[in-house]
Amino acid sequence: MTLLKDREELLDPVLVLQPASRKVTVDLKTMSTMDPAAAATYPAAGAEDAVDDASPSGDVGVDLETETPEQRRLRFERDAMQYVDQLYSAAMRMARNPSDAEDLVQEAYTKAFSAFHQYKPGTNLKAWLYRILTNTYINLYRKRQREPLQSNSDTIEDWQLARAESHTSAGLRSAEAEALDHLPDSDVKKALQAIPEEFRLAVYFADVEGYAYKEISEIMNTPIGTVMSRLHRGRRMLRDMLADYAAERGFKARTEDQAPAGSITQEKQK
Amino acid sequence: MSDCQGLGDCDDTRMQRIYEYLDGALTREDLKEIKHHLDGCPECAEQYDLECVIRTLVKRSCTEAAPENLKNSILERIHSIKPVDV
Repeated sequence: MTLLKDREELLDPVLVLQPASRKVTVDLKTMSTMDPAAAATYPAAGAEDAVDDASPSGDVGVDLETETPEQRRLRFERDAMQYVDQLYSAAMRMARNPSDAEDLVQEAYTKAFSAFHQYKPGTNLKAWLYRILTNTYINLYRKRQREPLQSNSDTIEDWQLARAESHTSAGLRSAEAEALDHLPDSDVKKALQAIPEEFRLAVYFADVEGYAYKEISEIMNTPIGTVMSRLHRGRRMLRDMLADYAAERGFKARTEDQAPAGSITQEKQK
Repeated sequence: MSDCQGLGDCDDTRMQRIYEYLDGALTREDLKEIKHHLDGCPECAEQYDLECVIRTLVKRSCTEAAPENLKNSILERIHSIKPVDV
């Protein structure tokens, strides 16, 4: 709940974008968004490239002073519109249905277009758009719904972590990895929807987009430590739920005593 | 869960190291150290494997195409906005 409060203190999403996007390249030298194996092989590359990987090389030379509104519109269409699918996928993790997700993406793009003169060419445009999307969701869309957080993280966390303990003592076998691998997309989406949204979005940005903690912290406007703990908790919840789904579907992962299948989903559906 | 102490003395620490490795959020030395450990420790490697599988699952499941009309609706809306010359 405190997390939500922090984020609601944000003013207009557009106003907070500029300083943050300037900071994107900071501190990344010691971190890498590359595959660990690849990073070990090519130590010095990676980090800085990764920051700009989403920016078409053409936009760096833009002269913002002399650019006309029409040129800016064309640049927006050329550079920003290519991410509609990605933003829609993220919006599907925020909104509860496709129609709301569409509205959210449309709203975010409208805001992004209006604020495009504040976007610094050469920085990560996709992350900038994600940040606007996240802010739009938090400041506008969810407020409009006038509903409490869809789940109380503290409560869920307690019993989920208790379950995680019981799982750990049972021990996971690589057969479990095999079992999870057979789960249909619908199960994975259902499990994601069931974990608290701030955890879900952190997992989304890390696993789907491969963003570094620093980038996620800027998109979600939270400290890096918070991102790391959200990821940690989110992943453990997700893993437990997926293990339960796999068991429900009869993908036997191991021979040890298994927690009663479906206990989490039943709780969730109440 | 692994009882190996190689990555830390409690389960949370071990998993945190594995997540940091997975996320590429380590210095080069730490990366090497963990990679070396995973190479020689089937228990921890199994944990890492499982997290990789989940990461791939999430990525696969969450990659969706926007409805076809969405892009057009956005473009229409953008064209209806009078551009601000700053």
